[in-house]
Formats: sequence, structure tokens, C-alpha cells
Amino acid sequence: MAPFVYSTLIISLGLGTAMTFASTHWYLAWMGIEINTLAIIPLMTQNHNPRAIEATTKYFFAQATASATLLFAAVSNAFLTGGWDILQINHPLTSTLTTLALAMKIGLAPLHSWMPEVMQGLSLLTGLILSTWQKLAPFCLIYQIQPDNPNVFITLGLLSVIVGGWGGFNQVQLRKILAYSSIAHLGWMILILPFSPPLTLLTLFTYLMMTFSLFSSFMLVRTTHINSLSISWAKIPTLTASVPLILLSLGGLPPLTGFLPKWLILQELTKQDLAPIATLAALSSLFSLYFYLRLSYTMTLTMPPNNPAGTLPWRLNPQHNTLPLALTTTTTIFLLPATPTILALFTF
Amino acid sequence: MSYLMYILLFGLVLGLVAVASNPSPYFAALGLVVVAGVGCGVLVGSGGCFLSLILFLIYLGGMLVVFAYSAAMAAEPFPEGWGSWPTLRLMVGYVAGVGVAWGLMGKFWYEEDWLGFDGVVELSVLRGDVGGVSLMYSSGGWLLIGGGWVLLLTLFVVLELTRGLSRGALRAV
Amino acid sequence: MTPAHFAFSSAFMLGLAGLAFHRTHFLSALLCLEGLMLSLFIALSLWALQFDTMNSAALPMILLAFSACEAGAGLALLVATTRTHSNNRLQNLSLLQC
Repeated sequence: MAPFVYSTLIISLGLGTAMTFASTHWYLAWMGIEINTLAIIPLMTQNHNPRAIEATTKYFFAQATASATLLFAAVSNAFLTGGWDILQINHPLTSTLTTLALAMKIGLAPLHSWMPEVMQGLSLLTGLILSTWQKLAPFCLIYQIQPDNPNVFITLGLLSVIVGGWGGFNQVQLRKILAYSSIAHLGWMILILPFSPPLTLLTLFTYLMMTFSLFSSFMLVRTTHINSLSISWAKIPTLTASVPLILLSLGGLPPLTGFLPKWLILQELTKQDLAPIATLAALSSLFSLYFYLRLSYTMTLTMPPNNPAGTLPWRLNPQHNTLPLALTTTTTIFLLPATPTILALFTF
Repeated sequence: MSYLMYILLFGLVLGLVAVASNPSPYFAALGLVVVAGVGCGVLVGSGGCFLSLILFLIYLGGMLVVFAYSAAMAAEPFPEGWGSWPTLRLMVGYVAGVGVAWGLMGKFWYEEDWLGFDGVVELSVLRGDVGGVSLMYSSGGWLLIGGGWVLLLTLFVVLELTRGLSRGALRAV
Repeated sequence: MTPAHFAFSSAFMLGLAGLAFHRTHFLSALLCLEGLMLSLFIALSLWALQFDTMNSAALPMILLAFSACEAGAGLALLVATTRTHSNNRLQNLSLLQC
């Protein structure tokens, strides 16, 4: 892709998200989301193979439908209440419709099925953009609508946690596993949104860190399948030590950063007298933990049954800039002792 | 006037039923033409003749030519019109669904006056929608620039998507 | 709920149902998407006209530009899909499910 075209697309990606962030009018927010969708389409089809084209098509249809529904909900709200303000979407029908449209945009559980298939067709870098940057604009909108009735959010969140665990259960494709893990994490965020919005932001922050480091590690060892993870020790030995920690942090085990949002969310849910829901969410994240564990197992503990020289893949010296990966890996692993500081940062 | 508007609104819904009931693409494009034409009538009836003109010229003139052109790509020997059974069944189902929704919504009904814009403002120089659209050139300038940027972006998107022969793409045709 | 509100809401829902449930051809899905955008255009115009707000009369125009962009991107995807998958049936898009 020509550098000018590439920079235009990247600028438009930034422009769309910034427009949605800055807007108070539904129409401008919709415009930002549309610009965002249009700008990522050529990035997805950078190499014109049939899988990339198919993934782009599926992404395009899902996003176009979702954004049309979003605008329809905004217009209906304007007809019913007379206002276009984002914070003013308080008619029950339109606020539910908006929530569903945004859930489809970020891929929450009943409307998630485009997400794994789209991720499967993309390169890891585009997948990283899709599962981090592209979530921000819809997430900013879903953060701003405050429904009277939290049941929609609880249902979406709980279903996402369950589906995100269950869907990745039997997968061997890394990108699909990453997509399901993204669904599960977004489920946790949506689950806590009606009760404690700062916790949602905290979860989003940790999710961005962990996803970035996991995607960068897989980019560095160039694997998209669980089998080829087992020879990553031969490519970059240090990553072999740190990737299982990142994975377990995603799964939410105690001494790592990933435990922080889950802990606080479960505590908050219990405070709100929702202990059964908290239990269900915690139990279904065991599914996710299972496939993270399987990935760690393949990566660190298995060795192919042939001689070492045969397993070494031929490769060039990696030219990646590993500084961002080092930073995010550190935050992914070591941030739990700083819990009070982080809480103070996010609860203002 | 009111009866005419009801007929036009009914035509709007019926046109979308014709598009949605899965006929072959060129019949669906015909349905979309009907929807656009009827929509022009609705807009004129509620006092927005400039927006209606835009819809007629831009939409029917520009977009549907492209769609009719690319319907040739989907040409098939035995096209399914609205007379064939699967499509007809879906159409009947959709019309029944709209009827049920009408029945459910009937109790929240209230009449509207179709005068709408400028109906009570006797002394204005411009019609409201002309004035509103021309506001886009003064106070809404950034909106206009945003729209232009999106059109440029789409140009790049289309060019990047449709090339590929020189890039070693796998292709069947 | 006024009759016009009911009409464009049901038109939108019909388009959404058509897009969601039964599509054989890529092009019919795009046409359904256009139907959605058309009903949104009518909705935005009617809102501006009925609520007597002059500022909002510019919104349908921008919507038309955006829907043209979406249709353009969709048709480009149609061309790309026809090249890689050899026809434009949506059932052919089955490489990624496993």
C-alpha cells in the first residue's frame, strides 16, 4: 500500500474515533463511527487473499447494520423526546436499541458471531487494531448512555462472559481464541457498567494493555495456530517465559494485573446484592482460564518429538521494535501491587 | 391531502417489503426506486420540497444507476420475481407483521398536522429546508469538510479494494 | 407515535429483517442496506420538517453523502468478492468458519 494512502487511512481512523469522543450530538458520533469503519476496510484487505476479502465483507455488513441501527435509535429518540444529545437518550425503547446496536459494534454476546470469523481472516496487526482501537469509539458511546434498567447490560455482559469462554473452548486457531477472549473481557466491562463506570474504564485499560502485549508477542513469533506455538522457544526464548504470564494475567490469576479488574468487579457486584450473577461470571471465566492454560502449556511445556535441529525454524533476525511490548508486558504482569494508586486514578 | 399522505406512507412500507422479501437483485432495485419515489412524495407533502428534490436527483439519478449497472453482475437465467412462491410467502408474512405492529401501536396513536415546516410562518423569505441546507455553507462548514473528507476516503477505499491483479491476488475470474 | 413515525420505523425494521434473515445475493444485501439508509433519510428529513428546526435540515444531505460512501465501499467489496469467490452468492463466504 502506498505510504500516502496508508497515512490517509491511519489519519481517518484517528479522526473518526476523535470525532466520536468529542461529540455531544448523536449525528456527529455516528459520523465518527462511519469514518472509522470505512477507514479500516482497506487495512483489512492489505493482502488480497480470499480470506481477507471475506473477513472484510463480514465486518462491513455487521458494522454498517449496527451503525444504521444506531442512527435509527437516535432519530427515534429525537422523535420521542425532541433532543439529539447523547446523554439524553432516556426513552426505554430507544436506549435499549442503542445498547444493542453498540453491542453489535463491539461484538457482545448475542450479537458477537461476526467477531471470531473476522479476526480469523486478518493479519495480527489489523486484528490488534480491530480489537483495541476500533472498540474505543463505540465504547465511549456505551459509557455515556445511562439506562434506568440495568438488566440489558447484565444480560449482555453475562452472556458475553459465558460465550467468550465457551466459544474458545475447542479452538486451535489463535486469532479465534483471541477474539473470544476479547468478547469475554468486554462482557466483564459491560457487566459492571451500570453499577460502577470507573471500574469499566479500569477494566478497559487493563484489557488494552494485556491484548496489546499478547498480540505483539504472537506477531513476534509469527504464529496463528496453536501447534506452531510449541516451537516459539526456538525463536525468542525470553517470550517463552513471559507469554504464559501474560496469558494467565488475561485469565485473571491473583499475583498478576488481570486479577485486579475481576476482583474489583466481583466485589462491587456482591455489594450490589448480585452475588449469584457474580458467581456465575466468575465460574464461567474458568472456561477462558482453561484455554489460556492450554496455550501456556503448549508454549512452555511441550517439545516436538524430534531432534532440536529439526525443530528450529529458519528465520531472519527479527527487526521489530520491542520497546512497546516490553512496557505493556511489564504493566500486564506487575501492576497488582499498585491497586490503590490505579483505583485513585480511575475513580477521580 | 391527509389521505394522499396515508397512501404514500403505505407505499413506503410496501416498497420496503418488496425489497426485503428476497427477490432477485434487479427486482429489489426496482423496489428501491419505488421507495425513493414515494419518499419524495412524503417529503413534499410535509413541506420539504428541496430535500425531496435532492432525494430524487441524487438518489435516483446517481445511486440506482450504479446499482442497476452492477445488477448485471448478478444476472441469472431464472430470476425470482414477486410472483414466485418463496418470495410471495415472505411478502405476505412481512405485510402481516406490519399489520400486527399497526394493531399494537394503534393505542398510542395521535394525529399530526401535515403542514409542518413553514405552514405557519407566512413571512419567511426562504423555505425552511433551503435555508437549513444553505446553513451548511456558513455555520456548518466543518460538517461539509467532514463530508468531503469521507468522500475522498471512500475513493481510496474503493481503489484499494478493487485492485489486486498486480499484487498477486488469488482470483477465480 | 405519529403515522409517519410508524411508517419509517416499520420500513427500517423491514429492511433490517431482510438484511438479517434471507439473503442470497451480495447485491440484494447491499440493496437492503440502501433501503435502511433511505428510510433514515426520510426519518431525518421528517424530523427537521416537523420540529421546525432549520439547522437540522442539513443532516439528511450529509447522510446522503455517507450512504453513498457506504454503497461505494459495498460495491467495491462486491467486485473484490466476485474476484476471489467466483460469484456473488453470500453462501460462498464460508472460508472462515471452523
